[in-house]
Amino acid sequence: MKKKMLAILLGAVMVLSLAACGGGGGDAKDDTKKDDTKKEETKKDDEGGSKDGGYHFEVIVKSFQSTYWQAAVIGIDNACEELGVTANANGPANESDIADQIQMIDSAIEKKPDGIGLAACDTNSVMDSLTKAAEAGIPVVCFDTGIDNAPEGSVYATVATDNEAAGACAAENMFPVIEDKIKAATVDAKVRIGEVNQDATGLNIQQRGNGFIVKMIELCNGVDKKVAVVGNEFYVNAAEGTVAESEAEVIIEVGVPAQTTVDLASTEAQKIMAKDDTIAIWGSNQTTAEGVITANGTLNKLSTDPSKGIIGAGFDAGTPQKEAIKNGQFIGSVTQSPLMMGYECIQTLNKIAKGESVSDIPMDGYWYDMENMEDDNIKPNLYD
Amino acid sequence: MGEVILTMKDIDKSFPGVHALDHVDLEVRKGEVLALMGENGAGKSTLMKVLTGIYKKDSGTITYEGKEVEFKNTREAQDAGIVIVHQELNMLGHLTVAQNLFIGREFKKGIRIDDKKMNEEAKKLFDRLNVNIDPKETMSNLTVGKQQMCEIAKAVSFDAKVIIFDEPSAALTESEIEEMFKIIRDLKKKDIAMVYISHRMDEIKVITDRVTVMRDGTYVGTLITEECTKEDIINMMVGRVIYEDPKTESAVPKDAPVVLKVEHLNAGKMVQDVSFELRKGEILGFSGLMGAGRTETARALFGADPKEGGDIYVNGTKVTINTPQDAVDCGLGYLSEDRKRYGIVVQKTVAQNTSMAFMKNFMKGIFIDKKKEKDVAREYVDALATKTPSVEQLVVNLSGGNQQKVVVAKWLARNSDILIFDEPTRGIDVGAKNEIYKLMNKLVAEGKSIIMISSEMTEILRMSDRIVVMCEGKKTGELDIAEATQESIMNLATREIA
Amino acid sequence: MVKKRAFGKLKGREVMVLGIIAAMIILFSFLSPTFRTYPTLVSVLDNSYYITLMALGVTFPLITGGVDLSIGTGLVSYALIGGYLIVHQGVPVGVGILACIGMGVLIGVFNGVLVAVMDLPPFLATLCTCMITRGLGPALCGGFGVSWPSALSESGAFRKIFKFTTANGTVVPIGIIFIVVLVLIMSFVLNHTRVGRYTIAIGSNKEATRLAGVNVKFYHMLAYIISGLFAGLAGVAYAATYATIYPGSGAGFELDAIGGAIVGGVSASGGVGSIIGAFLGVIVICLMKVGLPFIGLQANWQQIFTGLVLIAAVLIDVVKKKK
Repeated sequence: MKKKMLAILLGAVMVLSLAACGGGGGDAKDDTKKDDTKKEETKKDDEGGSKDGGYHFEVIVKSFQSTYWQAAVIGIDNACEELGVTANANGPANESDIADQIQMIDSAIEKKPDGIGLAACDTNSVMDSLTKAAEAGIPVVCFDTGIDNAPEGSVYATVATDNEAAGACAAENMFPVIEDKIKAATVDAKVRIGEVNQDATGLNIQQRGNGFIVKMIELCNGVDKKVAVVGNEFYVNAAEGTVAESEAEVIIEVGVPAQTTVDLASTEAQKIMAKDDTIAIWGSNQTTAEGVITANGTLNKLSTDPSKGIIGAGFDAGTPQKEAIKNGQFIGSVTQSPLMMGYECIQTLNKIAKGESVSDIPMDGYWYDMENMEDDNIKPNLYD
Repeated sequence: MGEVILTMKDIDKSFPGVHALDHVDLEVRKGEVLALMGENGAGKSTLMKVLTGIYKKDSGTITYEGKEVEFKNTREAQDAGIVIVHQELNMLGHLTVAQNLFIGREFKKGIRIDDKKMNEEAKKLFDRLNVNIDPKETMSNLTVGKQQMCEIAKAVSFDAKVIIFDEPSAALTESEIEEMFKIIRDLKKKDIAMVYISHRMDEIKVITDRVTVMRDGTYVGTLITEECTKEDIINMMVGRVIYEDPKTESAVPKDAPVVLKVEHLNAGKMVQDVSFELRKGEILGFSGLMGAGRTETARALFGADPKEGGDIYVNGTKVTINTPQDAVDCGLGYLSEDRKRYGIVVQKTVAQNTSMAFMKNFMKGIFIDKKKEKDVAREYVDALATKTPSVEQLVVNLSGGNQQKVVVAKWLARNSDILIFDEPTRGIDVGAKNEIYKLMNKLVAEGKSIIMISSEMTEILRMSDRIVVMCEGKKTGELDIAEATQESIMNLATREIA
Repeated sequence: MVKKRAFGKLKGREVMVLGIIAAMIILFSFLSPTFRTYPTLVSVLDNSYYITLMALGVTFPLITGGVDLSIGTGLVSYALIGGYLIVHQGVPVGVGILACIGMGVLIGVFNGVLVAVMDLPPFLATLCTCMITRGLGPALCGGFGVSWPSALSESGAFRKIFKFTTANGTVVPIGIIFIVVLVLIMSFVLNHTRVGRYTIAIGSNKEATRLAGVNVKFYHMLAYIISGLFAGLAGVAYAATYATIYPGSGAGFELDAIGGAIVGGVSASGGVGSIIGAFLGVIVICLMKVGLPFIGLQANWQQIFTGLVLIAAVLIDVVKKKK
């Protein structure tokens, strides 16, 4: 009896304390609520006026793990406001919660929206759900991540960054800074360029990592230097046009952490940066770029001047990277436009709902540095 | 005789389905040792738990030092001067002796525990009691006897006015018991009242002043120890005369076939070059002091502990026993001295325990044949006269003697021909003991053979056909029951020590 | 006095772990020239702070014979909540830190009530709170990652508790002083106070401890509160060491801490363990995390190797016990 009472009491305390905690973060929640009501108001207005709006879309993102998706949601909200439609964004706690995401897609289909925007965690696992959507006649627009062999009639269009081009973009912007050092390299005095990738399994990261390597090899070959790729087996095997380590003047070393945690990512970065012949390093997503910054916290080797230290660059945004660029630790970084992808996703869904024809929208990666960070077309993508 | 210090009157306590205490009275006087006797389940422990606040009484009064009291927990009872020395040792094996003695009331210097002072105080205490134990030793390194001394020392250190001993001698050797009695006599002189719960009749005669007997949760009566005989007490406990005299000669023919032959068994320090034979229909007693290596010999023989060497022959054929599984396949069964740890699964039913050692026999395809399990269990419950409401009863609810019978049933169900009984009657009351004895006699009459390890001399002399005596890991002698006496056994058991 | 006892009387196991640490450092230095540098040392220490703090706390439930699985996801969730308050609600950093620690204590109390009062098996109870904390942080903070103020900003001064950069650019890992002080304090608590004594007693024989008149429920609960408190501290250390706290991460962190404690001789079945051992065990884990990449072992092999080393550490205990 006593125990039961206690259980109930404890439950009550838990709920109360949760409510209290919720109160602490109350402002933000209220904001969203206000937003919701605002949206509904706009919706009403639109129904009164043009026939254009009034659609409702369900959007499922990969996770809320990274601030990256914060920007995507802003883009989605912007498009909704502009078009007078509503969208409900949802996503699993973690990018690896594949099953959770499928559940969310399926329940989104049940709601019978006018369209679904999807950033799939695992491109293979969503096939069944896509078939269901197609059967239910609900159009799907993929954003951020494309799905190669989607069931016919399910995916109407894809809004995604061309990751290979984005990786190449980093190489192109990094090369001029270290060009002199590369030119001076010999087989006996090699130079080393580091790349830290979060994993060797995600398609996005694979394309990005390989895009950088391919471009860098091309640029080095352009100044008559041979390149070897070492480190993680996947990237070593994927690289073409390379030579054995002993014959190369330039080495590209690829580090992949055992788990996608910040501490292991920074260890990988540090391992490369600790070597005396390292002249540059690139982190291919937010986690690994921050890993490079964390490693520099102990090494203090990063510099924008190749004669003074290692050249660093990153990918995506977030406060730490933006500060690193402002403080002269990174020469720059490549941003995708999550905001624009979110925005374009809703735009495309809206077009489909209206019966217009649509096509894939490839999104560029944008190089940003101290010079253009505050520019109007860049700044909104640089989420905190 | 001193004045009354503690009176329990009309104590009543019920648990769901059981009327554990039915208006029980108890009176303890200063400077006396009061024996509290009764079969297991008579309510002795429950009464003491009510006294020390572990259980809450339903009705009745407790008067202590002239005031009515009701302790809420052992701590309150302790503070008032009533301390219990438990039957199961309440030792914290990972802590030192001194840390154990003062657990719950450590000396402190600021927030820091003053271990130094605790060691000193413990030393003083041991000196006072004439016990030689190092306070800094880790508790788990002490022998069971020494651990028991610590328990008593702990009780004394509470400035106790009433000390309750709950079967303190169960795990002690003869000499350790003597030592304990010395302490008890010492405490008597200091006007401390003691309640002594035990099944050992000879101890009761030696150490106690009065005997209070309980039966089935009721108060039967109180006798002056000097003025009564063992038989008087037993009659009060069980209502019938049961005591039997030692066996005078073996009923086993000299040429009975040898079912088990062990040669030069070696396993560590505790088993050194032990050889013996067991004949069909024989009870072979293993006697010796605590730590003589008897249990270790049995465990090595049974494959429970690794052996270093030695040959084993079953029915004339040499066998290899490396695991208990091997032993069971050879027809051996082992009834552990520690039932709760090795013998039975107390949270399972009688039927489940019975079938446990021989599941193969109770399978129907991949399913357990519940009906067969119950039928077989019922058969053994009847055959062994196990007192249980049904075979579906959880074993934890049975008394010690009946738990022992379930273990026997388990091995019989496995068709074991050679049974090793390790302390078969430890913690079992007199009535149930007698039933276990009858059962063992019945088993050998049916052609089973038994190895019985026992620390009770009377048990050895009463049951065995032949007796193997061990001392410090070695076999020191073998006696036929016809020639064995308490003195001759003790002589062999202590030969190497002296 | 305390110091003398804490260090003067290293137990066999602790000496052995020290030996392993020395052997690993020699091996890694031999195999990788870049390993044997000052920044690597700093990096190992960086890695060790939050794991050590978790291990200091979780040693207490472990010694009672239980476990606390909620510390990994817990620390991330507390750091998220603290960071959210600082970055998005504008509270002073100090308040955010206190909120982070406070949340840890709160969840510790919750675990304690579940285990000590309501008698839930610790594995189950803390597995549930592990899930709760995993969702709690993101739920309260809108699901987004949070970056605590950086070392360069004025409000990022708290990061200097762990890592201090001098004017000429030398990095001083002063966090280790902070950690060693905590190790000594907790070692004192475990060995020389009632809290520690009763923690061991509960792990040794809970019923006997209860019968000795000890308020077992309270002290059993306290073990989990200590674990929660240190998970909160670990949250601060994590936020101070790394740039961004990602929601949904943290699962598995507790295994580094528990693994470290076990390598250091804390018994998984209770009753035995030392704080210094747990600390040294964590250093072994961190050396592996940092050292294995340095000697060129690739991702998958690092994990296989770490698992094998843990088995070896536990085996030593098992073999010893058999003797």
